[in-house]
Amino acid sequence: MRPLPRFQYHAPKTLMGAVELMDTLENAKPVTGGTDLVPLLREAACRPSHLVDLNNVAELNYVREQEGFICIGATATHSQVASSELMRRAPAVVDAVSRIGSPQIRNRGTVAGNLCNASPAADSAPPLLVYDAEVRIASSGETAIIPLQELFAGPKINCLEPNELVTEIRFPVPPESSSSSFKRIARRRAFTLSVASAAAYVDMDGGVCSEARVAFGSVADTPVRVPEVEELLNGNTLDDETISMAAMAAKRSVAPVTDIRGTAEYRRAMCGVLLERALHAAAGRVC
Amino acid sequence: MRGRCTRRPGGCAEMDVSFELNGEPVTVTVEPHVTLLDMLGKELGVRSVKKGCEQGECGACTLLLDGAPVASCLVLAPQVEGRFVTTIEGLEKNPLMIDLRGAFIDNGAVQCGFCTPGMLMSAYALLRDNPHPGMDEVKRGIEGNICRCTGYTKIIEAILDAAERIAPE
Repeated sequence: MRPLPRFQYHAPKTLMGAVELMDTLENAKPVTGGTDLVPLLREAACRPSHLVDLNNVAELNYVREQEGFICIGATATHSQVASSELMRRAPAVVDAVSRIGSPQIRNRGTVAGNLCNASPAADSAPPLLVYDAEVRIASSGETAIIPLQELFAGPKINCLEPNELVTEIRFPVPPESSSSSFKRIARRRAFTLSVASAAAYVDMDGGVCSEARVAFGSVADTPVRVPEVEELLNGNTLDDETISMAAMAAKRSVAPVTDIRGTAEYRRAMCGVLLERALHAAAGRVC
Repeated sequence: MRGRCTRRPGGCAEMDVSFELNGEPVTVTVEPHVTLLDMLGKELGVRSVKKGCEQGECGACTLLLDGAPVASCLVLAPQVEGRFVTTIEGLEKNPLMIDLRGAFIDNGAVQCGFCTPGMLMSAYALLRDNPHPGMDEVKRGIEGNICRCTGYTKIIEAILDAAERIAPE
């Protein structure tokens, strides 16, 4: 197969060093696991002059709790996140990242990279969207924190400026009374893109859902939250009637396309099915 | 690659990459766009790490990087600086790998053989971390390895058999 195009390689040891490189080098791209980037390079879909490898920046490798947030550093791999004790507080995230790709991919690929790649089918996105995740961005200017939804500018397009680096994904520590679930449909169980996916978060107060958040993947230009559905669920018991109303609303709110993996009609129908499954599973997980 | 001028016009400088390969320290002078897979095959004569899809999807190039199975076609050569690379050659005398190899042979788990080294590396990592996997766990352990002869049944049986040999329940 064709070799990778040539580039210069840089492996800064500090975040400051990485930021400086991204700021001064022309046509530079950051790399962590390379599980998306290396195939893109090989297809010549992306021709950077410089790669800035973040893997040696020790300060970016963590999954930790800080100031009321669960924080995922830029170089934390799917395997690291999946096995993190802390992440049990957000089971939908574990559902997703423990099934992304294969062991070989999960051991290299990072959650931050999965999000920056901005695929509408990125499995880590719907669960993080329902946890109101934010993205910390570093550049030579000020550090910015933006809602995860804003990172997704379009299919495979993120909102980052060429000199900006995502350094962290974080979300508020969820209440004990909450839980979540992520469900997907794909042609097979392992190592394939989702045809459609759904994440549901519920905070339960007795039998009543005091707050619900739902998000879908592979059914719009970007992974999406669906507030119309959330409003139907908020303040209600999660009985069959409420859930099927929410599923109907979900089908109306998404805007899927037809592609090689599935038709728009199928995806729309599956949004309802996946939402039902995810809501039942999430509610069942609340202790 | 060696002996070439260190800077190509409009290209990139070669770099020295030092890492541990199967317990031995090695240093290779290589251009940074070369993958770990190609560096091992072309510069170091490692034959077990196979080139299949070069997309990270077939698992034929699976090896252990700091003990974890990865697709070496997706790792850039300079990314292994200071790290530990283990291929099947490095596990020749490893008791777990000896049992796995024996179980693959006894169960007829090798057809054309192209996926076998990668399968064995994934199976090794699986049994090292989980000595008594169930059928589903075995399937998940090798979900990143494709056998185009489609001999999965025998491969799964071999891994379950190896688990029995190593640590009978």
